[in-house]
Amino acid sequence: MEELLRMEGISKQFGEFFANRNVCFEVRAGEVHTLLGENGAGKSTLMNVLVGLYQPTSGSIFLHGKKVKIDSPAHAVKLGIGMVHQHFMLVEAMTVFENIILGDRRSKKPFIDVKERKKEILELSWKYGLNVELDEKITNIAVGAQQRVEILKALYRGAELLILDEPTAALTDVEVEGLYSIIEKLKAEGKSIVFISHKMREVLHVSDRITILRAGEAICTLDADKTTSQELANLMIGRELSEPIYSKVTQPGDPVIEFINVSYKKSFKHGGLSEVSLRVAKGEILGIAGVDGNGQSQLAQIAAGVIVNESGEVKLKGKKPSTFAPRGFIDERVSLIPEDRNLMGLVGDMSIEDNLVFKSTEDVRFSNFHGWLLKKNAIRQYSEELRDKYDIRCQSVAQETRNLSGGNQQKVILARELEAEPDLLIAVHPTRGLDIGATRYVRDSMIEARDKGCGVLLISADFDEVLQLSDRIIVLFEGQIMGEYSGKNPPIQEISLAMAGK
Amino acid sequence: MDGSTISDLIIATVRMATPLLIVALAELYSERAGMVNIGLDGIMAFGALVGFLVCYWTGNPYLAVICAAVAGVGVNMVYAFCTITLCANQIVYGMAINIFAPALASFIYRVVFGVSSTLAQATLMKTVAIPVLKDIPLFGKLLFDQTPMVYLSYLLVIITAIYFNRTKSGLNYKAVGEYPKAAETMGINVIRQKYIACIICGFFAGAGGAYLTTCYVNTYSDGVVAGRGFIALAAVIFGRWTSPGVMMACLLFGFFDALQLRLQIGSNLIPYQLFQMIPYVMTLLALTLLGNKISGPKANCKPYFREER
Repeated sequence: MEELLRMEGISKQFGEFFANRNVCFEVRAGEVHTLLGENGAGKSTLMNVLVGLYQPTSGSIFLHGKKVKIDSPAHAVKLGIGMVHQHFMLVEAMTVFENIILGDRRSKKPFIDVKERKKEILELSWKYGLNVELDEKITNIAVGAQQRVEILKALYRGAELLILDEPTAALTDVEVEGLYSIIEKLKAEGKSIVFISHKMREVLHVSDRITILRAGEAICTLDADKTTSQELANLMIGRELSEPIYSKVTQPGDPVIEFINVSYKKSFKHGGLSEVSLRVAKGEILGIAGVDGNGQSQLAQIAAGVIVNESGEVKLKGKKPSTFAPRGFIDERVSLIPEDRNLMGLVGDMSIEDNLVFKSTEDVRFSNFHGWLLKKNAIRQYSEELRDKYDIRCQSVAQETRNLSGGNQQKVILARELEAEPDLLIAVHPTRGLDIGATRYVRDSMIEARDKGCGVLLISADFDEVLQLSDRIIVLFEGQIMGEYSGKNPPIQEISLAMAGK
Repeated sequence: MDGSTISDLIIATVRMATPLLIVALAELYSERAGMVNIGLDGIMAFGALVGFLVCYWTGNPYLAVICAAVAGVGVNMVYAFCTITLCANQIVYGMAINIFAPALASFIYRVVFGVSSTLAQATLMKTVAIPVLKDIPLFGKLLFDQTPMVYLSYLLVIITAIYFNRTKSGLNYKAVGEYPKAAETMGINVIRQKYIACIICGFFAGAGGAYLTTCYVNTYSDGVVAGRGFIALAAVIFGRWTSPGVMMACLLFGFFDALQLRLQIGSNLIPYQLFQMIPYVMTLLALTLLGNKISGPKANCKPYFREER
């Protein structure tokens, strides 16, 4: 097969940090070439260089054997490179049609040629089986459909090389199958695809060749049919790592939190809860499985007292919470690892030590007169203890948390929440965006908390994580509970069907 | 109220609404590219002075408006450079313009005319009646015997509506205010678009200021703008970022402005300050009632860093 793209010796530096170091990468016409690597391995950076969003610190790019300098996304588009970003580049307030024709330079006419353009787009969408509603606003269509819009957008601009950045991250299993068949059709038409992912299973399924990135460097390129997922995993992390097997609890203690027919914004399919009943007992992990946006976020917020349920009853340790607000729940020893570290978990502009004592400023250990006068030295000492205990890697505990890596930010939250010796720990996507080492640490900590008698409500979009950690599993779909399963020998097939609403 | 009072009121409404409308449209163009410019008041003050000076010296109010518009662009470029290129906070720099520009205008006025009790006077722009149309009974004289500035501002409403809804360039423009990174990936030059937005904004805000000293009163005094920039800002929100909406909002505020003047004249017992409050109170009220449900361009007020990690 003919070579389409070659990137040679690409380096990209952010300050002192190398996001890419001397990376070589090559794509042939009509192949699916996967970039595999952990979060922060530099996959997205490399592709942002390719589409002209970043300028490489050094290195060069060749298209069809000719050296090119890509200085803007517009230029990349002109060269036939299209990218579907992980966070979709769609203007939500506009329609599908408007999004596709944005920035279009097809004709010189100042006015939008609605009829003609729509005809072109529809032809294209039939050809590749990308059906979309052209006049619907982006906010009103599902994630899978938004992705089809993104692909259509790139094809409409004549993309020869299509970059898909973690395309399956937000999709249901059914939507993923749809994406695979679209990829097959694109390949059959001679388009090349760069597929970015860290999920071994899908990588082996779709790719022709795989290039592994680790810590910003390209490790090697392999043919997909001559490798195994174990080999890929080892190459990806750079050492042998076996999956831990955690023991499962079958005889939990008294319930710490109970939901009885709890509803919140019942009519919302995405972002509401309808008649949810569940219970988390001491010393067990209840895993909530399901695709993101099916009410998990609301479930967690009600369980932490952040939002109030509209009907039904929430019981903490067998009685109604005295104050239905975060403070009341904290006083009942409820801890929360929120879904978005930066939005809800930490104040980025404040130091590690400040973030660590947020919930306990009135504690006599940290202040005199109920929080009116902070004991700075005691806080410093306490923070340094926690830094060592939780292995938070930082220059000093006075450092702002925004400059920490995701893994270390999560450890700050974990330290704060676990040091409160919770009876209930609500963990929402606790390992999202973390590398393998940090993920392992967070998971071990949750198991440890459970063994100490804490009830854990684990909400995660990572199905494997739910399977690995949970003693019981509940599937949430469109705000409803689809079923409850034992965490010991769980019926995987049945659960994944339930996650898709079947 | 008799017939002539009502027709007077309507004429005054249109006259009062015009500077608001021009400036509100300026803000509309700015915010559509994600640039919240609260410095309108300052740009208007500077435009008012430049317009007055040029008119005073040359006696040509049309030239005066154009010069004021160009001066407005000049002032707004300070804001543009700081917020677009240096990614500074838009509110802070808008406020800085509000403090700086009127003070500069006041200073220049004193340098030129010195401190004296008599106000310098310039010629006002003449009204131009549109043939045929002005003879329409009842409304003809009201609506079609105005200064060209009035016609232009309403024409601008139509052009703006067409531009943002029907043209490719308008669509791209809006995308910059909604999601600049997406616009960038679609080959739109975000930084250039934002500068263009600031040029348009400065141009119309300056012209709107000049309207006050070339069409409204024939003198310049400090505080001639009287917070109209802020009312225009409210009109954009009230009008939900569409030009017809903005026009309706401005006419409403203009009406209250005209009404309070009439009420002041008609009443001896109540202090006039009470009536002067009306337009501002209405602005507050409108924003309070609507403030909750509205949402403007998504990336409004956010600086755009291209190589953000």
